[in-house]
Amino acid sequence: MAPSLIRSPVQLPPAEALALSQQAPVVLQSSPSTVSSSALGSLFSATEKPELWIQYENLILSCLRTGDDRAAQECYDRLAARFGNNDRVKALGGLIKEAQAQNNGELEKVLKEYDQMLEENNTNLPIMKRRIALLRSMGRLSDAGSALVQLLDFSPTDSEAWSELSDLYFSQGLYPQAIYAMEEVLILAPNAWNVHARLGELQYMAATASGATGAPYQKQMAEAIKRFSRSIELCDNYLRGYYGLKLVTKRLLKDNAKPAKQSDDEDFSLPDSNTIERLNELATAKLAEIVRHSSAQDRGWRGYDAAEVAAARELLSEDAPSGMER
Amino acid sequence: MAQVPVQTIHRDPQLFYWILFPITIVMILTGILRHYATVLMSSAPKPLDLRSTREQRSLLHGISLRTNFHVLSPRSFHSRRDAVITAYESGAYLKDPERKGQPPANPMTDPSSMDGMMGMMKNQMAMIIPNTLIMSWINAFFSGYVIMKLPFPLTIKFKSMLQAGVGTKDMDPRWMSSISWYFLCMFGLQSVFNFLLGNDNAASQMAQQMGQMGPQAPQMFGPGVDPNKQFLAEAENLAVIEHHSVLHGVEQRLLEGIRV
Repeated sequence: MAPSLIRSPVQLPPAEALALSQQAPVVLQSSPSTVSSSALGSLFSATEKPELWIQYENLILSCLRTGDDRAAQECYDRLAARFGNNDRVKALGGLIKEAQAQNNGELEKVLKEYDQMLEENNTNLPIMKRRIALLRSMGRLSDAGSALVQLLDFSPTDSEAWSELSDLYFSQGLYPQAIYAMEEVLILAPNAWNVHARLGELQYMAATASGATGAPYQKQMAEAIKRFSRSIELCDNYLRGYYGLKLVTKRLLKDNAKPAKQSDDEDFSLPDSNTIERLNELATAKLAEIVRHSSAQDRGWRGYDAAEVAAARELLSEDAPSGMER
Repeated sequence: MAQVPVQTIHRDPQLFYWILFPITIVMILTGILRHYATVLMSSAPKPLDLRSTREQRSLLHGISLRTNFHVLSPRSFHSRRDAVITAYESGAYLKDPERKGQPPANPMTDPSSMDGMMGMMKNQMAMIIPNTLIMSWINAFFSGYVIMKLPFPLTIKFKSMLQAGVGTKDMDPRWMSSISWYFLCMFGLQSVFNFLLGNDNAASQMAQQMGQMGPQAPQMFGPGVDPNKQFLAEAENLAVIEHHSVLHGVEQRLLEGIRV
């Protein structure tokens, strides 16, 4: 899909973000620099469209990414002229200041401004999130974590904050906490296949991090299998899902462990080895299919992330020699 | 059969220009004025403070846990449920935990809900005052005239609607009086306002009246609702859930569903 200014540019690869930010002069020229919000003005001049403001916001994000601070500032000025003291616009302004800061001292100054704004209005979610992101990028992880927990205490229905918290815990190696936060995301977005797969990844990493192969290990591996399977069930040909499924089943086959006696009804138990084998075969075949079609640029198979396809190819090639021996 | 003779009334053609057009234009202008008066008078909704945001979102969190419990494994669901129920029953999320168990405050004395009522009053006033003025203006100047003849036949029942203010028994209902034209404008100008002011305008009182008459959805966090009772009810809802997980047997479903 071609990049569009209407959709959020957060997930775009660098090349597309650059292409977007290069549209900035055109957009800035083609739209009027001030939109009258007065009563009579709207009767005669063209009515403002919400798309324009979304465009500006997305332009700010991609321009900051590509270093075009001037265009970003211009977009921000227009937003500020129209919406004034809106929380979200303030957060965008803070983002620009963060991007323009040259050293740590200036970042500290921005942080102080955030603190001041939060003192005036302690429910300002966009600013709170900016402050947390700033703390995290300044390396003050524990501060960021406690600020996030504080935010989630009064707004526990914020899936963005939960997934940020999960990522934060994960970066500190606190797997159970990361899993808990990810499960909260899943409660709020029950059919998000990427979250299912992410949870599977977290379970897999938590299981393999300790190196033990006891009952907790098996339980977590079992849940990882189930999470990956669910993500594939929700989204056919989901590369990360198949990749994870293959990774987990391969490891389990290598372990060749007998499923431990099920201790109680609460926990998931591993499927029998026959099922694991079949899952592994399925994942291998599907991954091979995805890699083949995607590298041939077949219709309907585009849009996979190049890095992910390369990783899948590598995983498959690791497998190849052992496959020939059999 | 003899044809009923067509009624003809000789009217001054000037009536048309001096009554029909002025009434229509005045109606449109008042509509626009009312729209901007409403826009000016409406106060921005007051942002919620921290405690009430927390109260509402905690309840929503419990509700989403109840609706989406199936994505969790049994163990994590049970631990979450226990924690949430304990917090709900102890009133940990309440805005002011000391007032737990007391009847909710009277919405008339609560300053935050007074704001909403004042807003409603203002809207009502913006509707009533111009309508009264225009109606009395029309009554004072134009009552008793027949101003136009509709180009299509109508049954006798329309007489009272179209000939308000003209007490002639035998007149064809196609004839229309000025006050009826006023009513017709009042009900029929909605699309003109939509064209001039956009879709969500406040010019036409009809839309507002419709909104008031329609069945009102029960307010979730409105004034007069006891949050503690809501929390207790939600805790009970959570307690009776029989957990099943969507993850049970997902491998088998996958192996059966997907053929390579």
